[in-house]
Amino acid sequence: MTYELLNGLSPAEVDQVLALGARMKVPSGASLFRLGDPADCLFLMERGQLRLTLPMKVRGREQDVLIEEKSPGQTVGWSALIAPYRFTLSATASLETEVIALSREKLQAYIEAWPAVGCKITFNLAVVIGRRLQLVQAMWLREIQRTVELRSA
Amino acid sequence: MEMFLMGLCVSVFGLAVAAVAFGAATRAEAPAPVVQPAIAAPKEAPARFFSDGVVPAVPAVRPQIPIEVLLQQIENHVRLEQAVAESFLEFPTHAVLHSKTTSALVN
Repeated sequence: MTYELLNGLSPAEVDQVLALGARMKVPSGASLFRLGDPADCLFLMERGQLRLTLPMKVRGREQDVLIEEKSPGQTVGWSALIAPYRFTLSATASLETEVIALSREKLQAYIEAWPAVGCKITFNLAVVIGRRLQLVQAMWLREIQRTVELRSA
Repeated sequence: MEMFLMGLCVSVFGLAVAAVAFGAATRAEAPAPVVQPAIAAPKEAPARFFSDGVVPAVPAVRPQIPIEVLLQQIENHVRLEQAVAESFLEFPTHAVLHSKTTSALVN
């Protein structure tokens, strides 16, 4: 298994980081976290699939609408590393899912103890966040373009 | 007799003048509706009286699909849009960014 957050780390370093975490099983349909919950852990996807959703009003009813899907190797819940440490999405397992939960405290302590490894992890995290930003930016622009076309029609 | 004929002629003439005047008067009222369309131009105003100024872009009456179908369409739309956005990140071009979607939600 290759984890995007641990790219460029040696196998020994990967093992050290994974040893900080706790494996968690999330049954199909169960929630890993909800929007607004305190974010104390970052999750590495081990197997299964997670749906990241946001609430949206559809015909007067609040519905969780899919924003993104996460599969093995990907990182979920980086709100745990960014103040105010609250999840900004909800995560629900669409299949039986297994994740490795890395607590913020343990990860920060490890990064301080091993700055060179910490630098690689931080860089990988920047890639994960940057990619999400670029994706959302492109999707947002397409929606704005559609709105403009509708207005001009 | 002459006086009677003269009176008759004057009466007939007066009746004729009255008839012409009446005809003219009633003809003057008739064309009025023909002129009306010219002043009926600002017809849009009543339609927007209660609106908030936003002109609806889609027809107001659309067949309402079941909510499950709508939610599925939203989900498919998000997946399609994400796929396009990922393609854009691989090959950032104007054409990819503005490529048309097949999403049922917006078509």
